[in-house]
Amino acid sequence: MIKYHPSKQLMQKHVAGELPVGLSVAIAAHIELCGACKLELDALESKQAEAAFTNSGSYSEEAAESSTEEDLAFEAMMNDITQLDMSSEMVPRVPQMFDYQDKSVQLPRAIAALKLGSFINAGKVSRARFELDEGPLRSSLLHIKPGGEIPEHTHTGFELTLLLDGSFEDESGSYVPGDFIMLDGRHNHTPKTEEGCLCFTLVDSALHFNKGLSKLLNPIGNLIY
Amino acid sequence: MVSLEQSSDCRTIKGKNVGMQETPSEQLTAALVNVANNADKKAYAYLFSYFAPKIKRFGIKQFGSEAMAMELVQDTMTSVWRKAKLYHQDKGAATTWVYTIMRNASFDALRKVKSNKEDNLSEEIWPLFHDEQVCEKSFKDHLQTNQLKEKIKSLPAAQRDVVVGVYFEDMTQEQLAQHLGIPVGTVKSRLRLALKKLKVELGEQHD
Ligand SMILES: [Zn+2]
Repeated sequence: MIKYHPSKQLMQKHVAGELPVGLSVAIAAHIELCGACKLELDALESKQAEAAFTNSGSYSEEAAESSTEEDLAFEAMMNDITQLDMSSEMVPRVPQMFDYQDKSVQLPRAIAALKLGSFINAGKVSRARFELDEGPLRSSLLHIKPGGEIPEHTHTGFELTLLLDGSFEDESGSYVPGDFIMLDGRHNHTPKTEEGCLCFTLVDSALHFNKGLSKLLNPIGNLIY
Repeated sequence: MVSLEQSSDCRTIKGKNVGMQETPSEQLTAALVNVANNADKKAYAYLFSYFAPKIKRFGIKQFGSEAMAMELVQDTMTSVWRKAKLYHQDKGAATTWVYTIMRNASFDALRKVKSNKEDNLSEEIWPLFHDEQVCEKSFKDHLQTNQLKEKIKSLPAAQRDVVVGVYFEDMTQEQLAQHLGIPVGTVKSRLRLALKKLKVELGEQHD
């Protein structure tokens, strides 16, 4: 059972198209795995559509005083559009697989669409960045071999983990595929995995490793996430 | 798939907001269906006159630029015309459908401004035509049913091998291409053909 879902606030911003790409990709991937959030998405979409397209809403009051100039521009646009052919084909989608640790896993559509860089290995952890170019936001695909662990760390910003396959545990419990785990600067944790796992991760700034030896490993943090 | 709020009976929504939000949902949906079925330009003109000014306001709020707002109107309304045939009334109101198209176009435009990327990811994040996906999913869910196995057996051998390899033997498309000694592109196109055929065979029964 998936226990961790995107917050209501995140869902609303996602539906409005106001989130960074990495975050919306993660939410879309979660929704692909979570029927409850799919229903919520549909409900929010219809609610926001109502708000945007009502005749007495904020967008239409100003629109009421349209100029002749605007009318002409719209008319020309409409005439151009209706000259175009209508398309009717629907191409069935072929699921995209990802191979890791002798397994082949189907990737959620939004993740499969992204360009992935090459993998860098640090012990049992392998990480590849998605080439999204979102400044301080870094989206990655991470897989950890059975028995692997990430040293205790906190974040100055947030860290999002979407578990795609396998399982892992930290101080707060254990997680299953689909779990959407959002941590902010107040949390610190030491994720470890017994059976190995594949995750989509998103961090918004450098990590801080807390304990003795781990501090020395700080460069690894940048390597891993 | 019917969502919680967007019941096919638009009056429930209207009833709640009497006087506040007058949206001619039924007329808009009827017009969109008319565009889809008959390429009716009058019906399209009605949709255009209703949505275009509202999309423009939305765009101005989103981008702070009149030129970009007009581009958003153009992109959105072009998709409404070109993709009308892919709209299904049972998936929700026309307003919701147009909203998702507008939101997607706006998301792609913002990405272009912020990261100078033209990767048009919105379509992957919010697939407009959910049934492709649902079909794919239910296809997987129903893999074990005998009925489907029978259908697969009746596929041409070349397509059958690809379906069996990918779905039953869990091979990647690359492995399968190697195994069968054919290019990956051929595996992809055979799979596409096979899925299309199976979808037709299985008809609407998954809806
Ligand atoms: Zn969920």
